Amino acid sequence: MERHLLPEEIDLLLDGEVGFGTPPLKAHVRSCPACSSELESARALVRQLEHLPHIAPSPLFASRVMSRVQLFVPWHVALLDSVRGLIPQSRALRVAAAGIFASIAIVLTIVSVWAFSRIDAVMFTADLVLDRMRIAAFSALGSAVTAIFGDAAQPLLAGGALGLGTAALLVVVTGAAAAAMIRVAAVRARSR
Amino acid sequence: MALALDLRNLPDADVAALAKEGREPAFRELVRRYERPVFSLIFRMVRDRETAEDLAQDTFIKVLNNIDRYRPEFKLSSWLFKIANNVTIDHLRKRQLATVSLDGSPHAQTAAEAQATSLDVESRGESALEAMESRELGSAIELAIAKLRPEYRSCILLRHVEGRSYEEIAATLDLPLGTVKTYIHRARHELREALEDLRE
Repeated sequence: MERHLLPEEIDLLLDGEVGFGTPPLKAHVRSCPACSSELESARALVRQLEHLPHIAPSPLFASRVMSRVQLFVPWHVALLDSVRGLIPQSRALRVAAAGIFASIAIVLTIVSVWAFSRIDAVMFTADLVLDRMRIAAFSALGSAVTAIFGDAAQPLLAGGALGLGTAALLVVVTGAAAAAMIRVAAVRARSR
Repeated sequence: MALALDLRNLPDADVAALAKEGREPAFRELVRRYERPVFSLIFRMVRDRETAEDLAQDTFIKVLNNIDRYRPEFKLSSWLFKIANNVTIDHLRKRQLATVSLDGSPHAQTAAEAQATSLDVESRGESALEAMESRELGSAIELAIAKLRPEYRSCILLRHVEGRSYEEIAATLDLPLGTVKTYIHRARHELREALEDLRE
């Protein structure tokens, strides 16, 4: 090569390019003191740049960042975390818990099989229990209504209007409670 | 503690995936990994520690609050540097707009008018913060970097301080590959000249 290296050619050598065009450039550098000095000066600059240290921000930097980051845990992750939280940490406890759950599962299976084999008796008993519970509930409700509204409410009780009214009231109260819970959950998520 | 130790061994994409699940230790790990490189890049661009902290903080808040938009096929560090660079360039542009000439109004017709509209800046002693900054960025090479145009500065810092390839720098700064090569070539040339001037 008769001429000195062009700046782009110095860059090629500086970046460690290994293409077929570089051997003549390297050969020229070996024989040309001016280009060799030019390349060495460029390499010295790169070495200086590469030795520049990373500078640390203040020690409170991470805390300041974290205080302004919105952490949002998706519901499925929260659910999985809750389930994982119930699993014992030590192996021995995990084995014991598995034994207990297996025993409960076996007992429940046996009870279910027995119940299905005597489905008529089960249905009769369930019907009886539900009937008793309904009578007890209506009796308690009737006492409460009479205590609040006096004997004037007796015809309503007899007419069955109280049952419908109570059912409607229960639906409204349950709906309001569910809406309030959703609202509280949303506020908590936003505040996090 | 065990989770924090495990996180240190995970690649960026896995830590980002945990951050997407809202895991606070994953967010902290990402800040721990990149606070120094991001802060250094910004500090060398703006040369003011307080401003650099604010801009680095903005960068991390933007990245972490939008972590669900991160696509793992790209390098997380490139995304971080891209946002850091954008935040810094925006700041430098705004600062340039807000610059007031100390020599008086350019519309002044006479020396007296120029004198009347000029700003007097009191000479004051170097504060502790300034002394620290001058220690950190006071070497010849740092002073030479400070003289570069901002776009040359970010290219040369990403190439030689962060060790990024030309392709990564092009993707990070949204520049054509040829432009990145030109900027780095010119930056090296200007740095060598500036260092020679400083030596003289």
